[in-house]
Parts: sequence; C-alpha cells; structure tokens
Amino acid sequence: MKNKYFFATILFMLAVVLPFIVPVFWVHVLTEILILGLFAASFNMIFGYMGQLTFGHAAYYGIGAYTTGLLMVKANVPMLATLPLSMLSAGLCAALLGYFCVKLRGIYFAILTMAFGQLVYYIIFQWYSFTGGDNGLQGIVPPEFLGKAANPYYFFTLIVVTIGMIALWIISESPFGYTMRAIRDNAERTEFIGINVQRYMLLNFIIAAMFAGLAGALWGPFNRSVAPDLTNWMHSGIPVFMTVMGGPFSFLGPLVGSAIYTFLMATVTSFTEYWPLVSGVIIILVVLLMPGGFLGLIDEKFPFLMRRGNGTGKTDGQGRQER
Amino acid sequence: MNDTDPTILKISGLSKSFGKYAVLTDVNYSLQKAEIAAIIGPNGAGKTTFFNLITGYHNADSGTVLFQGRAITDWPRHRIARAGISRAFQVSNIYPRLTTYENVRQAILAQKKRTLDIFTPASGLARESTLELLELTGLLPNRDTVAGILSQGDKKKLELALALAGKPEMLLLDEPTAGMSSEETHETMELVKRLNAQIGLTILFTEHDISVIFGYARKLSVLYQGILIAEGTPEEVRRNEEAQRCYLGEDI
Repeated sequence: MKNKYFFATILFMLAVVLPFIVPVFWVHVLTEILILGLFAASFNMIFGYMGQLTFGHAAYYGIGAYTTGLLMVKANVPMLATLPLSMLSAGLCAALLGYFCVKLRGIYFAILTMAFGQLVYYIIFQWYSFTGGDNGLQGIVPPEFLGKAANPYYFFTLIVVTIGMIALWIISESPFGYTMRAIRDNAERTEFIGINVQRYMLLNFIIAAMFAGLAGALWGPFNRSVAPDLTNWMHSGIPVFMTVMGGPFSFLGPLVGSAIYTFLMATVTSFTEYWPLVSGVIIILVVLLMPGGFLGLIDEKFPFLMRRGNGTGKTDGQGRQER
Repeated sequence: MNDTDPTILKISGLSKSFGKYAVLTDVNYSLQKAEIAAIIGPNGAGKTTFFNLITGYHNADSGTVLFQGRAITDWPRHRIARAGISRAFQVSNIYPRLTTYENVRQAILAQKKRTLDIFTPASGLARESTLELLELTGLLPNRDTVAGILSQGDKKKLELALALAGKPEMLLLDEPTAGMSSEETHETMELVKRLNAQIGLTILFTEHDISVIFGYARKLSVLYQGILIAEGTPEEVRRNEEAQRCYLGEDI
C-alpha cells in the first residue's frame, strides 16, 4: 500500500513542472493530453470497468463542447458556469440514448452506441441555425483571467482534469465501481445477487458521458472553436485507441495512452502527413505485443510502481482476461 | 404473507419447452419452510430447468410459482433474488477477475443495498461480514486469490458463499458438490445442514451423488423426462417402483 499513489503523484508533479520548461507549442500539446486523457478515462468507465465497448463516446464529448460553445457565444454565460451545464447536458443525452444501448451487450452495444453517436453528429451537422452546421462555432474565447498565454489555460485545465480524475477514481473504487467490475466479469451472476444490471449499466453510461462532456467543455475554449467532427465516430475511436494503448486495466492507463497518442501525433505530423499510417502500425504492435497496454507492461515488469488497477493485472500480470 | 403457513414454495402446473422439446411438463411441487429437499433424476430430466424457472433465468410457458405466498412467476432475476431466493449454480458462476474476498464482498454489498454508493471506498465496507462468510465457507486461506484461478472445489465453495451472501430464505443448490473431493463434499453439506438447523434456511438441491442425497435430504422428488414421477421421504422413494425403474435402478 505504500506506493498506492506513487505513480499518480509522479504524473501530477510532471504536469505541474513541465509547462515551465517546455516551449509554448508543447504546453498546448500538454493541454490536449489532459483534455483527451479525461475523455479517455471516462470512456474507460464503460470499457475497462463495465466491459462494454462504446463507439459513440465522442457524441457526449461533442455535446459538452457544443453546450459550452453555444452558452458562451450565444448567451454570454461565463465559462466556469458552462462546465457543470455541459456535464448536465451530456448526462441527459446519455440517459435518453443509453436507455436503449444498455439493453444490448458486446458487438451490438458497440454498434448501437456508434449509431446514436452518428445520429448526434448528423443533427449537429445539419442544424445550421443553431449549431452552425459544418462551419461549427467560432469565437469561443476563454475568460480574461485565463489570458491569451498558454500557461493559465493549461493550469486551469490541469485543475479541472485533476478534479475529474479524482472523482472518477472515487467512483471506480466505490461499491458502485465494484458492481461495474462484477457486471464486466459476470453480468448473469450479478443479476442473481439481486442487482438490476441494466439500471446500473445505464447509470454508469450517464456518469461516463458526464465526464466526457466535461472534457469536451474544456476543449471548446482551448481551441477557440468547436466543429461537428468532434462528435463523429472517427473521434469516438480516439479514446478507444488511447485506452488500448495505455492500458484499460489500470485507472491511469487511458491518461497515459492519451499522453503517448497526443505526443506521437504532435511529433509525427510535423514530418509526415501520414499520421494514420503511423498510428495504425503502432496499434497493431501494441495489441500484439502488449495486450495490457503500456501500463500493463509496466505493471508486469515493475509491479512495485503501481497500485493494482481494476482487477485484471492480478490474474496473470499481462492484463489478459482469465476466462 | 401468512406467517403461520408453513409452505414456502408452491408450484403449480409449471411447463417449459424449448422448441418441440418439452423439458418440464405440468410440474406441481410444494416445499415446507426449513425443509431440506432434493430433486433427483437422470441427466436431462429437467432439474436445472426447474431451478431456472424458479429463479427467473427462464420464463415459464405456463404455470405459477408462489414464494411465501407471492406469485413470483416471470419476475426479473434480480427481483426474485431480493425476494429471498438465492442460487448456487452447477457450473460455478463467479467473478473470475476479482479476488475471492472481492467476490464475496460484492454479493454482501448487494444484499445490504450499498451498491449505488459512489462515494465510499468499497475496501473498507462490509469487512466483518465478508470475513465471517469466508470463514464459514472455508475460503479464508484463499481470500486474496483471484477467483478465476481457484481450484474447482474452491470455486464451488465460492459459488455457495455468493448464494449465502444474499441472506436468502430459500437456497437452491444445483449439484453443490460436483467437482469437490469427498472431504469437501462432506464439509459443504454439513455446512448446509448446520445453516438449516440454525437459521431455518430452506434448502432445495439437486445431486447425483447417492450418498449425499440420502445422507442429507429429508424429502425427495424424482424428475424423469420433465415429469415429477415420485415424491416422499427418502425411504418412500427408495421403495417406489417407478422411481427405481426410472432412475435409482441398480443398487441403493
């Protein structure tokens, strides 16, 4: 137990120190890592903890981004107030769409979440008068106290993402979080111990969507604009990629995956336009060589560094499922 | 529910078929409170389906299941579990990636209705009752083992622990000792018997092991090709000719 938060502490200290050392460009990259890391961590509540693959998680990220964008641009609502409202709107949409998704499992769950994600995408894409259609929304400017420089917005993001991650951590370690692992391991048995599995899955779906919405809400002002692409299924693939790369069976896996992915994208795109080719090769290598992702590998080689994640590392040290 | 009514389970006209194949035909069955009863019959007789219909795993084609006077037919599984019927499965049905301790704690937290709590760390909750149940089922030495790599016998013990965690009124055990050594079988059945004597837990089990059936059941029912053909005390069933012909056969 002595090293329980060792890894998380190191990451946090790095996050505090790095922006003072690296050039401005990299501060932007770090901001992106944090935002997408929270997005991926929220995705992993459904994937790693509940055992279902959602291919429509970007819908809730996008809804969060658009909620913030619309409120700031059209109603002049202060940014701080838009964050909880973004969580709310993403959560409400998830309640509506998730109701149908949690009736399905496995590939059918993935397909339906993807279909609903595309539905959200097309609504935003077509609704010119409200969302700006394919033009998106421009001029989402962060408040003055966050200034024009990179660092203030970065630290603001760091605070919000840290709070978000701590909240997700608390949820994942709660009886509710363990019920998610139980559903992942054996949904049938979970019904027979008296748990309404569908209702719990829906609740978790809503929670995950709310934190995706929070991540999205940070994105709009960071990027000064939002576009419908944020919600489409290509964008839903990003947290999948990050989580598989970082390690779905560690709480911090998705965040680490975000760091690797975003860092690689920032470097690779500076010397080649074939980023998808590079990322494709990387994911093939990760899936073949590191089935537990990057943190799964660390956990195997340096077990003292990490607190056990959400169940699987304990099985055979490679994050493989014992079935 | 009428407290003076000693009948805990009353099943009438229960039928189930899968396609053209009738698995259970017009089964009538009743069980007294605090009874230890066994359903016996050859493989494919419909024993597991019978359990599946009681616990809501399948919906019945026709017939009713009354539990403590309430019609629970076609209730969802979790509601039946909450109503007081716990079940241990024939093939152990556990959480393979959680530790033995976490498995049991999960079932206890479900029983205590703590599973909607998203703020309290689960690690500190229900500690005593979890350890108590692990002790009772002989799983304490394996508390930190990932359940997926437990031995077959220990998995069955865990299966029983998960069922007991629900604090049931009635416990259904589907071949509780399959895969256990004879020593473990004895321990498990003694535990079941003790729970029956101490807290009046009603037990309904299926079993192939003749010594377990005749050693523990006070009431036997013989199921053959989906039809309940004989019922009574072990002695009565032993003497019943039809039961002998259909199942018991050779030497008992």
